[in-house]
Amino acid sequence: MKGLTHFLSGVALGSFIPAAVRMANSTGENSYILALGGLFGIMPDTLDFKVGQFFSGADYDVDADPNRLDPQKMAEQIGRAMDDAWETGRYVKIQLYPIRISVDLWRQYVVKFDGEKNEIVVIINEIVNTSQASYVGSAPKTNRVGRCRVKGKMLETHGKPSVVDIMSGPQFGFIKKGGVVEVEFLPWHRTWSHSFVLGFILSAAVWLIASLIAGWDKGWLYGLVSFLGYSIHITEDLTGHMGGSLLWPFQKDRTNGLCLFKASAAHANFSVDYLAVTVLLFNLNRFAPKPFFTLGTWEYLLYVIAIPLIIYGLIGKFFGEKKDVDKKEGEISAEKALASQQQSSNEEMLYDAEDAVVGDVQR
Amino acid sequence: MDSMAALQILIYTILGTIIGGILSMVPALHIFNVSGIALLIWFRWPFLMPEVALPAFFMAMLVAWANINTIPSMFIGAPDEAAVFVVLPGQKYMLQGRGYEASILTGVGSLGAIVMMVLLTPFLYYTLPFIKNIRSQNLAWIMLLFIIYMLMSEWPKGSGMGKTVWERFTWAWANLISGLTTFALSAFLGFIILNRTMVPLDMSFQGIMPVFVGLFAVAGIIQNLVSHQAVPPQHESKSIDVDYRLLGKGIFAGTIGGGLASIIPAVTGGIGGIIAGAATGQRDDRIFVISQGVSKTIYYVGAFLLFFVPTLMLSRGGMTIILKPLFTPYTNQEYFMILSVIMISGALSFLMMFPLTRWTIRLITHVDYHIILWIALAIVFVIVYGLTGWMGMFLMGVSTGIGLIPAFYHSRKSNCMAVLLVWMVLSQGGHGPAILKFFRLD
Repeated sequence: MKGLTHFLSGVALGSFIPAAVRMANSTGENSYILALGGLFGIMPDTLDFKVGQFFSGADYDVDADPNRLDPQKMAEQIGRAMDDAWETGRYVKIQLYPIRISVDLWRQYVVKFDGEKNEIVVIINEIVNTSQASYVGSAPKTNRVGRCRVKGKMLETHGKPSVVDIMSGPQFGFIKKGGVVEVEFLPWHRTWSHSFVLGFILSAAVWLIASLIAGWDKGWLYGLVSFLGYSIHITEDLTGHMGGSLLWPFQKDRTNGLCLFKASAAHANFSVDYLAVTVLLFNLNRFAPKPFFTLGTWEYLLYVIAIPLIIYGLIGKFFGEKKDVDKKEGEISAEKALASQQQSSNEEMLYDAEDAVVGDVQR
Repeated sequence: MDSMAALQILIYTILGTIIGGILSMVPALHIFNVSGIALLIWFRWPFLMPEVALPAFFMAMLVAWANINTIPSMFIGAPDEAAVFVVLPGQKYMLQGRGYEASILTGVGSLGAIVMMVLLTPFLYYTLPFIKNIRSQNLAWIMLLFIIYMLMSEWPKGSGMGKTVWERFTWAWANLISGLTTFALSAFLGFIILNRTMVPLDMSFQGIMPVFVGLFAVAGIIQNLVSHQAVPPQHESKSIDVDYRLLGKGIFAGTIGGGLASIIPAVTGGIGGIIAGAATGQRDDRIFVISQGVSKTIYYVGAFLLFFVPTLMLSRGGMTIILKPLFTPYTNQEYFMILSVIMISGALSFLMMFPLTRWTIRLITHVDYHIILWIALAIVFVIVYGLTGWMGMFLMGVSTGIGLIPAFYHSRKSNCMAVLLVWMVLSQGGHGPAILKFFRLD
């Protein structure tokens, strides 16, 4: 799920501890304790994206020359890495780099793992600035698409093409599993950082520090709120495609998720956000020294949580987008390039076919 | 209310909209500064405006400003603290020759915001008072949540360039370090300016103005000046590329964002809009631009409207601070009167957006863009010097330096809001005196 969802969920979960809510209330200690739930709710991704990714070295690099763009060569480089994984059975990682043209200009490209045709497709797109605004008409007129068929059967789990433009590109991991080469998107993500064990260790550190500052009778509450925040993040991530290394360092493999919805699914994220905020308000009220409203749990669940979410769901169902609109501009541009190439290819085939027929008649 | 009073209110609503609309076109001139000066003028010559029309006039100016100020923000890159996030997508549209469309999209968003304010009246009357009470008892850590989220959710720009771990780490962390530096410097600046009056005493209500102008407007203008970006020909479209779904999503996200900003101190419409955008998972630029229009209007206008809700009477926003000593609403009639003012002024200022945007586009495409930026910069200097003197200019210079860090290292501009947020979190948490003592500001 998204960072904000983890963040809000962490705060909401911490609010189930009456003592923590009373400590946070301005009529109590005016403590910042509940903010720890949010901090630890977003912490696993912070560890990955701000620290972990830099330590994941790659076996192959795709670092194209901006003055000699060759999508075919780029596709072949990726294909070579995948074939390496297929032939040797070892885990192979490849780093894609952005193509920098000048201080503020970048050449965008898209990499697609086409499982149906078992090939890697690289499409060169427009020039973009650092705000990712593309310059209309700047896509190459020719030699825009490169394709490379790989030896082993590929299994792509990410589900969509990767757009590479500014600052840096993604890393992919290739591993032979059974009769296929599995493509892992961001192999450094959701591994050691998404572990309940690490969450426990970090929360223990918080408990220790808080105990030294606020006393041993309250310090454990800070640790508990932190652990709940960290744990809800890992648990929520299991709803997506990519799971986590839940018991690292005891279990290092990244488990698959439950595939209930994509991490970026707008409706799922918003529903959880809404649930978190309403639950937080309910808990802040009921555990306050003097509650402001007296709505019972079931009434609150029905009127404030269930009915609005059902209405939201119905609006989404009847008035929402019917097709997948969760696409970046670069993906759309790449699709157009592929469609155009396909059309040219079809026209060529048609011409060849007609030519053959005409040739037959002439013969 | 008799018919004479109603007529006076209508006349001053129209007048406030026109004055507010025209002044909104001046880069970096904030409506709260104008309102403070307008009030000083009214004190001296009270016959200029009947007292009954006072709230309507100021509300109309605010509505017009929330709508129309997007134009200089977008085309000259001189935003206020609430419009700072609309600049990038606005410039993206401009590069594609669609600046006119982007401006109108924010106007549509502002209209949507007004519709939402009308529709949400029962919520403001019956539900918001409970939320306000809960918020008041938990303000310190709730504001801290915004700081944590702002800092934690700023990711490195990818995995970095370079072959070694260290090369990639330092490359990618450049923007994070610049973000943290901006945050720390802004927070420190906030400690000083919120506890020391550094501008002439008679203009003390303008104390924070030079800082905001420096952080957001001057930094934006300088960034555009050095970028040497040419403005392509702009297309004045007859229609906007948006359907009811996109409009609905934009209004929904913007209402949440503006709503957050209007009830949580030191959270601006821009930050609220970003958080709401993340919550509702918006990716389309059009939704973002619309939602920022909604968010900005709810942040400014909605916050002032809350002052008129008899069951709530929440004092949020600069306009409430300016008018509170003179006027306290108590009745439903006053609430619905001000809601009517918002609707009339909103409709008028939306209509004003068309010619004003067209005029701005003609200006930036016919006159050298850099000359316009230099003129805008000169106007800013005159305003800041005129209102706050050399000390204000100095403050503006310091804050411009801080505001330029995110501009050149591609970190978040929202880090500049630490100028208010950090001090407020610490003082709400009861740590204000200790902090002042530590920095010898007590």
